[in-house]
Amino acid sequence: MGEEIETQVIVVGAGPAGLTAAHRLAREGLEVIVVERGPYAGAKNLSGLLYSTVLAQEIPDFASRAPLERPVSQRGIGLLTPEGFSLLCFGSRKWSSPPYNHTWVVYRAQFDRWLASEAEAAGATLLEGSVVEDLLYQEEGSRTKVVGVQIRGEEDTFKAPVVILAEGAVGLVSERARGRLGMSSGQIPQSYGLGIKEIWALPASTIEDRFGLEPGCGAAMEWVGSPFQGLVGGGFLYTGKETLALGMIVKLENMKKAKLSPQDLMEGFKANPQISRYIKGGELLEYGAHLIPEGGPKAVGQLCHHGLIIVGDAAGLVNASIYHEGSNLAMLSGRLAAEAAIQAHLLGDFSRGSLSLYEKMLGESFLMKDLQRLKNIERAHLVFPRLMDELPSRFTGLLADLFEQVQMPKQEIRKHAFQKALEGLPKFKTVLDLWKMRRMLG
Amino acid sequence: MSKEHSGQKPWEGLQMPLEEKLYRVRYEVDPDHPHIKVNQEICSRCGDRVCTFICPAGVYVESPGQPGHIQVRHENCLECGTCRVACTCEGITWDYPNGGMGVRYRFG
Repeated sequence: MGEEIETQVIVVGAGPAGLTAAHRLAREGLEVIVVERGPYAGAKNLSGLLYSTVLAQEIPDFASRAPLERPVSQRGIGLLTPEGFSLLCFGSRKWSSPPYNHTWVVYRAQFDRWLASEAEAAGATLLEGSVVEDLLYQEEGSRTKVVGVQIRGEEDTFKAPVVILAEGAVGLVSERARGRLGMSSGQIPQSYGLGIKEIWALPASTIEDRFGLEPGCGAAMEWVGSPFQGLVGGGFLYTGKETLALGMIVKLENMKKAKLSPQDLMEGFKANPQISRYIKGGELLEYGAHLIPEGGPKAVGQLCHHGLIIVGDAAGLVNASIYHEGSNLAMLSGRLAAEAAIQAHLLGDFSRGSLSLYEKMLGESFLMKDLQRLKNIERAHLVFPRLMDELPSRFTGLLADLFEQVQMPKQEIRKHAFQKALEGLPKFKTVLDLWKMRRMLG
Repeated sequence: MSKEHSGQKPWEGLQMPLEEKLYRVRYEVDPDHPHIKVNQEICSRCGDRVCTFICPAGVYVESPGQPGHIQVRHENCLECGTCRVACTCEGITWDYPNGGMGVRYRFG
């Protein structure tokens, strides 16, 4: 017979959401245990950019201590076609100095480990290499409340009046808990983007030369167009210190319907000369894949129950618009969950009503305001394919035609170029699609 | 460290087969506890076998010479959960690997 270990809060999952919650709780003097199934925090995690507005509030001097790769001083949005490309690159001198527009390239396995050490330094206890099999429940009259977690293969039971589920996009425990507790799900089922990422090693000077960067500064580029064959999604290229992160995020449902494999899409993206020129001469260090919940606000269900709060990716709190904001929102939801748990401890009330302070604070935050703008994002797969397929080739074709040198008055060149670019486009439908797309960009 | 493969690469330049990519991933393999199970009966009736092309780690392979039989290379699993979402005929049971086991990213 094992021991019964009691604490004030248990957090499931040591990613940005769970660790921010743990950090805040520990800092406020609460006893908190974080259970992580990986051998270390971040071992199972992938991400692209980190927006640091929430982190800066939590740990103001993070920039001098966290394992950050490069601040992003320039961003790019590119269109790829078999014949050509167009790239809009933009930056600001302001972004090359503190606070660097709060945009960083980080590697999750390294960053999360650091954040875990911060949470530990604040007083949280980290239990790594431990899988939460399920939650512990207790019937109290007509209601069922969560009272702790059951760890696989462990005789000891871990109990706490509040459990924060931060288990990420593939949330088996959250799924079971929702069923068991009858928590209402969102209006629509969650839908996912599949992210694929390759890490390539290159010397820092080569990276800076290829992207036109000042020493130490970084770039983030995103590409849509032909390599993605009309699917909703695109590729990315981010600069690390001595590495490049190259990858793509494609709507899973689209890929499945089109019977396309992520490997073929990724190789097609990489084969484009506009992309391969950046990684040429590099060596592949790592390959990875991860799901991203992209269903938007309508896929977010009930997030609190008696003794339970769900945060981060497990809660579906991702802004899948052009801003791709996930970890920053995860951190915010983690912090708000901690605040609600602290309040619940002060009142000695761990009921759903008490913990729903979390949902209330979420609703009032920029997170939900941004997310609400994406309420139709689940329809993206209906609108985007045509645009994803046609717009890049028409737009880059138009530019190529406008600047093609032929012996003809420029006015006629322009006329022909525009006629060709708009040929066969149903005007109203295109404008409507563009308008819908604009709505989905958040 | 320019790999020992140079000179004998069956691919051109930066293009790479999936096996070669998975070669660069670190795992703690748990040979006795596969965390993925497939129901061969359901799989044999499955029409499109989404798992065989959608998995970014090529975990699911139709056995050669045994049409409809799905081989599971669970040791390659990146734990992304794609198969859970993409397989709608419920032929796949996916669970977390045991504590500390499975994929361990160095970068992520």
